[in-house]
Amino acid sequence: MARTTVVGACPHDCPDTCSILTTVEDGKAIAVRGNPDHPFTRGRLCVKVNNYEERVYSDKRVLHPLKRVGPKGSKQFQRISWDEAIETIATRWKSIIATDGAQAILPYSYLGTQGIINGLNVGDPLFNKLGATVSERTFCDSGSCTAYMMTIGPTPGVDPESFVHSKYILLWACNTLGTNSHHWPFIEQAKKAGAKLVVIDPVRTRTARLADWHIPIRPGTDAALALAMMHVIIKENLVDRDYIDKHTVGYDELAERVSTYTPEFAAQETGIPVEDIVKLAREYATTPPAVVRIGVAVERHAGGGQTVRAIACLPGLIGAWKHVGGGLLQLPIWAFPVKWEVLMRPDLQPEKMRVLNSWRLGSALTGELGFDPPIKALFVYNANPMAMVTEQAKLEQGLEREDLFTVVSEHFLTDTARYADIVLPATTQLEQKDIMFSWGHLYLSYNNPAIEPLGEAVSNTELFRRLAKAMGIEDLSFYRTDDEIIEASLDWTNPVLQGITLEDVKAKGYARLTMPSADDWAPHREGNFPTPTGKCEFKSTITGGGNFVVPLFRQGYNGDQDGTPVDALPHYIPPNENPQTTPALAKRYPLSLITPKSHAFLNSNYGNLPAQTAQAGEEQSVFLHPDDAERRGIVAGAPIRVFNDRGAFEAFASISPDVMPGVVMAPSGYWHRSNRKGATVHALTPPAYADLGRAPTFSDVLVQVGKL
Amino acid sequence: MAYVVTDNCRGCRYTECVTVCPVECFHVDEKMTYIDPENCIDCGGCVPVCPVGAIEPDYRLAADKKFWIDVNRKRAAETPVLAARLPPLPGADARRQELGR
Repeated sequence: MARTTVVGACPHDCPDTCSILTTVEDGKAIAVRGNPDHPFTRGRLCVKVNNYEERVYSDKRVLHPLKRVGPKGSKQFQRISWDEAIETIATRWKSIIATDGAQAILPYSYLGTQGIINGLNVGDPLFNKLGATVSERTFCDSGSCTAYMMTIGPTPGVDPESFVHSKYILLWACNTLGTNSHHWPFIEQAKKAGAKLVVIDPVRTRTARLADWHIPIRPGTDAALALAMMHVIIKENLVDRDYIDKHTVGYDELAERVSTYTPEFAAQETGIPVEDIVKLAREYATTPPAVVRIGVAVERHAGGGQTVRAIACLPGLIGAWKHVGGGLLQLPIWAFPVKWEVLMRPDLQPEKMRVLNSWRLGSALTGELGFDPPIKALFVYNANPMAMVTEQAKLEQGLEREDLFTVVSEHFLTDTARYADIVLPATTQLEQKDIMFSWGHLYLSYNNPAIEPLGEAVSNTELFRRLAKAMGIEDLSFYRTDDEIIEASLDWTNPVLQGITLEDVKAKGYARLTMPSADDWAPHREGNFPTPTGKCEFKSTITGGGNFVVPLFRQGYNGDQDGTPVDALPHYIPPNENPQTTPALAKRYPLSLITPKSHAFLNSNYGNLPAQTAQAGEEQSVFLHPDDAERRGIVAGAPIRVFNDRGAFEAFASISPDVMPGVVMAPSGYWHRSNRKGATVHALTPPAYADLGRAPTFSDVLVQVGKL
Repeated sequence: MAYVVTDNCRGCRYTECVTVCPVECFHVDEKMTYIDPENCIDCGGCVPVCPVGAIEPDYRLAADKKFWIDVNRKRAAETPVLAARLPPLPGADARRQELGR
């Protein structure tokens, strides 16, 4: 038996981007494990990925191209050859382009795999070249990114490994142990050295249980807390005047702005007692080094962008950036010198393009948006919108359209793929090559393929080479090999890659970016923020054009931006739906629904696989506070219905004091088949955008729960 | 759900598991280690480092090993957290050989 170990990297949309060792025996992957040598992975994977080889060899894998032979959604498919599949797609696209124009074609994707060459931007050159409708993908952290740009610019922020030096750690809307678990040892080390750990979350999560202080907060009200913290810090003169003078702009205006955001006001909005708000502000300001780690969920409500604006101002106000282990951690992805332009190819775009945001897919397909030409062809890869996107009923209706030509590239017949006219088999991470950034640490990773592709599965890069050829594209850059794309995708002359060669990363599987050590690096000790002023902008200087989505999330296109005017100072935007702001709606739908990641799924990945469903729970559950359950006569394990005007799903009740009264929690990622009513949690979530970056408002939704 | 320490740990107690566990869920007595199911995050990091293959996820335990779920829960509540690796029990290496590991 020939047994080898291949070093790779986890493909998932998770901050941890683990280094994976795959054991291969006679060409077959038999086990995966976390790389013990990697300083962030530290020998562990997670509940999602531990059984990755079972995903690869699942008997449910799609291994050959398929064409639909029954009604849409019926899952009746017949195997066809790759030649026939590509020929069918090209013929149909060419005919649509001839009659309706290329804008009638819509790509739809996100980070089903987040490798640099197979992930976010792999299809962009083709669709930019065709002049298709631009897919504005604001699934994750888009509002946060716009806000972050407006405040401190695209900085990596605090090195996650510097947390060991922090003395006050504020995990804000982040369940580290559930969704960023490889960061935990650094936090725990800090705790052992005397740091105080504070968790702000509507739910007493696993992480909150291990914190020194858990502060439950009403969903969507976090900005009120951040603004009131600034109010207290300024009023009690806990600011770092020297840092403010040297490295920030707009302090006086900020001070005036937050003067109205009293702790009393914030208490009313957030449900946090006044004395706790004051205590939190004082402790945060007087326990250096103080660090804030924000999770993705912090943006998912009407004022999500301004929430991140407010939180991003806090470290500048108290001079937290002066200390190693002080400041803010959002996405260290900004440290990686990825040549996005090379990957997206915005230079190929026609001057004027049409843009469709990810949250409006349903109403685009039903025709409700009034698109002219309408969407006639949909190309889905790296995404499963039927399970994870708002407007679920409309989306289903749209996908059933006989005149819509839908192609889905997938590992499995997902809730979305079952509506496809053509399904294409995609490789898993063990069968493909890639180079990976991380949005949770500072290591560049390399994914060596461990095995040959199964069946006729192809990587996304190969898929788009085949499509480009069939569409008659002559530009040779469309036919680069994976190695050539990898080489071209990074700026190897950038100082952070100095001393790192592709060969080294390939052999070892990872390399820490050439940056100062986490033990003595305070990135903004001397200011140097990557903003237009070089300072932390309490009053932003880039709000002139109004609201925008970072072009990285929209195929590099910067036209047709949202443009809604944006107040240059942070402020509070109350939720669209909650008992305080919409009491009439709350009479019918009194409970705030939140839909965090499920323990064992990565978005909808693994929602169909036995190992993970065994650990997440076979069927959708909904967590209610005992008071809310009792009022409705609901007992633990009872089948229940969760509903609002947008839709309904069914689930089983879990009763727990870990959720706040008035809040219900339904972990997301379950597929339609695991729901008694054939719908997922997103049947209820609104299509409304958050204030910045067109982030979703998943945590800004009122529902009612009833017994079945 | 959680991971569970089973038979093979008895008489060995190598305690390599604590070197990888991120959440201090290992408890110990004079015979073996136990996993606190309330703290375990199902990361499975302890499985490949155990020299005698004593650790398994609870949902995959064979029927005749299911009782270890209760044993781990009960003993984890009664015993102290194991913070660092201990020397293996006397005779551990002989037992390891006996187990064919």
